Amino acid sequence: MSAGTVTAGVAQVVGGVALAPLLPGLIQHWKARLQGRRGPTPLQPYRELRRLWGKSAATVEGTTPVYRLTPALVAASAAAAVLLVPAAELAPDWGLGHDALALAGVLALARFALAAAAWDVANGFSLMGASRDLAISVFAEATLVLSLGVAALVAGTTDLRGMVEATAGTGVWSSPALALGGVAFAVVVLAETGRQPVDNPDTHLELTMVHEGPLLEYAGRDLAFLHWAAAARHWLVLVLAAQIFLPHAPGTWWQLGLLPVALVVLCAALALTETHAAKMRILLVPRLLSAGAAVALLGVAAWLVEAA
Amino acid sequence: MTGVILAVALGAIALGGVLAAGRTTFRAGIGLQAAGAIGLAVAGFWALAAGDEHGAAFTSAFDPRLGVDGLSGLFLGTLGVVAAPALVFSARYLDPDLRGRVVAALTAAFVLALAAVLCARDPLTFLAGWELMTLLPAALILVAREGDRQARETVFAYVAITHLGGAGTWVAILLLARADAIGGSAGIESGSGLQVAIALAALVGMGTKAGVMPLHVWLPRAHPIAPAPVSALMSGVMIKVAIYGLVRVLVEWVGILPVWLGVLVLGVGALSAVGGVVYALFQHDLKRLLALHSIENVGIIVLGIGACLILRARGADEWAAFALAAALLHTLNHAVFKALLFLGAGAFEKAVGSLELDRLGGLLRQMPWTGAAFLVGAMAIAGLPPLNGFASEWLTLQALLHVPTYGGVGGGIAGAVALAALAATAALAVFCFVKVVGLVLLGAPRHAAIPTEAPVEMRAAVVVLAGACVVLGLAPGLLFGSLVGLAPWPAEAPTQVGLELPGTGSLPTAGIAVALVVLTACLVLLRGRRSAAPAPTWACGQLVEPRLRWTSAGFTKPLRLMLEVVLRPQREIVVRESGGVVQEVSYSGHVPHLIDEHLYRPATRAALAGALHARRLQSGSLGTYVAYLIGLVVALLAAARLGVIG
Repeated sequence: MSAGTVTAGVAQVVGGVALAPLLPGLIQHWKARLQGRRGPTPLQPYRELRRLWGKSAATVEGTTPVYRLTPALVAASAAAAVLLVPAAELAPDWGLGHDALALAGVLALARFALAAAAWDVANGFSLMGASRDLAISVFAEATLVLSLGVAALVAGTTDLRGMVEATAGTGVWSSPALALGGVAFAVVVLAETGRQPVDNPDTHLELTMVHEGPLLEYAGRDLAFLHWAAAARHWLVLVLAAQIFLPHAPGTWWQLGLLPVALVVLCAALALTETHAAKMRILLVPRLLSAGAAVALLGVAAWLVEAA
Repeated sequence: MTGVILAVALGAIALGGVLAAGRTTFRAGIGLQAAGAIGLAVAGFWALAAGDEHGAAFTSAFDPRLGVDGLSGLFLGTLGVVAAPALVFSARYLDPDLRGRVVAALTAAFVLALAAVLCARDPLTFLAGWELMTLLPAALILVAREGDRQARETVFAYVAITHLGGAGTWVAILLLARADAIGGSAGIESGSGLQVAIALAALVGMGTKAGVMPLHVWLPRAHPIAPAPVSALMSGVMIKVAIYGLVRVLVEWVGILPVWLGVLVLGVGALSAVGGVVYALFQHDLKRLLALHSIENVGIIVLGIGACLILRARGADEWAAFALAAALLHTLNHAVFKALLFLGAGAFEKAVGSLELDRLGGLLRQMPWTGAAFLVGAMAIAGLPPLNGFASEWLTLQALLHVPTYGGVGGGIAGAVALAALAATAALAVFCFVKVVGLVLLGAPRHAAIPTEAPVEMRAAVVVLAGACVVLGLAPGLLFGSLVGLAPWPAEAPTQVGLELPGTGSLPTAGIAVALVVLTACLVLLRGRRSAAPAPTWACGQLVEPRLRWTSAGFTKPLRLMLEVVLRPQREIVVRESGGVVQEVSYSGHVPHLIDEHLYRPATRAALAGALHARRLQSGSLGTYVAYLIGLVVALLAAARLGVIG
């Protein structure tokens, strides 16, 4: 195993596990600044995780093991997804492969578990959030697979490492397929991270919650797991965006070196979107996501015409 | 060796069927049938692994011959894998009264008819088996639902539609026999009118039987009213036998089809996959929901076949074989989890007395074994890792993604659209089965019954099938190599535990499963046991009483609103007031089936109107009939004179 592979593996795990909470922290911080508030420090998510870690978990009467196992399963699938997504074109083989479509399956498992737990506690607000999340995911999943599909066509493989390698350089500016795939993936980023205009992560109104809803009946370390999993999802999609759909340097060392810069830029972009876009009506979200899917389809068409 | 096991197994099923008709030998007969089904599974998978032919070879001549090859072996194995647990289940599910005994005997005949289609090596046996396979379940339902008028009407619709559509099967097989092309594509030119006619006829005839949209209308009606083990056989195997026919005709016998036919097959598959799951989502009856999911899964299988046809036309033989293997693997996987879900539904129906989703609930605690097995089946059909549905859906997605890879703008775009459709289907299936799991297994019971765990035979049947879901999910690669070898052109893939294909990131299924289990276990340990005392669910200070519980309709409402433009749901709110005070509000809503409303209803109306006109011909007076005869003779003579006939 080369030094590059080891470093990329360390970056992947340390970044995905330890640095992931920094990403939503940064977004919150800058969002507050853009809105003229001082806001919390970027380290706020860590403080919250520490606070939750010291608290006792909740138990809801009349629940099954599904409720108790869900936080661990959701965090475990987020962790497995972190192992699936390489931080650079060289990444150690963790025994899970690096397949783009497998990633979609692992994320779906977490969604299933969280929604099943909502049914188990039978809290109306949890179920409301879960049902909205699942309804949105129908459109998000199609867009996710199509936009990754565009990159896979360009790279000739669905191996994420191969996709990072094949799209290195400034390909995204020169190939219309990849640029269109990137636009579609931007929509996916909004949906998967649960940020405005798809969902409002700051909401404290149960009636407007999407991703936060199913978390209502959890406390303590259970809630800490779920919060961490949400942060890890930020890491996953932002790393994919940075290393596939944004211009990135060829070579593992440059990719690893420039990744933090790209992530910071993407967080700033998300903070800007959150400041400028209000939360959409939930029934309009499918239009946004379908538009993303249509753009990705255009990307496929562009690639086909280019290849012909 | 395979032939001997197969003959013994089929003999055991036949004998078991006879014995099951007797009052004292009822259980023994069913046991013998189940043993025969296990033999069927062994012989089938043996034939698949060996990949050689036993018995007669295919012939276009009309003299009965039987034989087995790898493809027949796979489907025979599937039949055995579903039939064995279904029969063990039925030993306790059916009562040994007259009705139960007839059902048990007919079940044996049904299994034999299915095996006959799979082993047929000539058009005569194939078509005879095909008809029996259609008629026997009708008889089974009529016996099991004796005196139920609605069931009788449903059976009539089933027989009528499968025969009208099924004529396509006859046309396809007879045309193939005439071209001497059964068993090989020798006599058919690629792109010729004959080839297209055969392919379209097979798509209509076998598609009707497989339940692809828009020819599916019989399926969600007929499957739910059969007894649970028969539903398992119908959804698990019977519609798969139609897939077997499609694979034989489209992939093996007619040669390389033009791309547009592949695109048509993809379109039909995508419509079935998305349509099936969308309508399943808005069902409130468990068995009907499961039946609609069969349409979805047949759609996924047909997507694989469509990808295979396009890739083959483009000369990408390797990926064409992978696409075919994806379709075949999903066929087996769907048979396993759908049988599991239907049997589980049967157990719940016995225990609670209802299959209305809003009247179940809490069954995971009350029936832990059946409930846990049902949960595994639900996760498998939702395509979640590390279970079997995920492996075959992943393969199908990869196959679809490789359709654009091999060029052709039209076919490529069709592949990409199908890819998006399959991704949306997977997400919809997650949505639907979260609803099912939540309403059936989780939360507080919504019924008055105090169900007890099912008897050991019924429990064993579902637990074994759940085990099969896990095993097939962990090691799909062990089967994949043989499935790729079934393609009629040279192709191979290594036999290993996971799925490692060129041009993909590979899917080490076992690795993913181990990672998920180990990580979850570590996190559970890390969490520790520190918990506050149990408290009721918090709902803004209110207790969640039965009237506040979420229903099936409520949970799916966001999607219903999002798809309103397409689905046109209907709802009715009646407010009864008296003296300015609202006394009662009643609400009813449902999602009408668009294909029923806009395709079949006008067709039925037109047919009835046509019949009304045709009736005028039947005046009843002798003179008119004589006039008809004279007219006919004159017309024939004139035609002969002009040289049109004769």
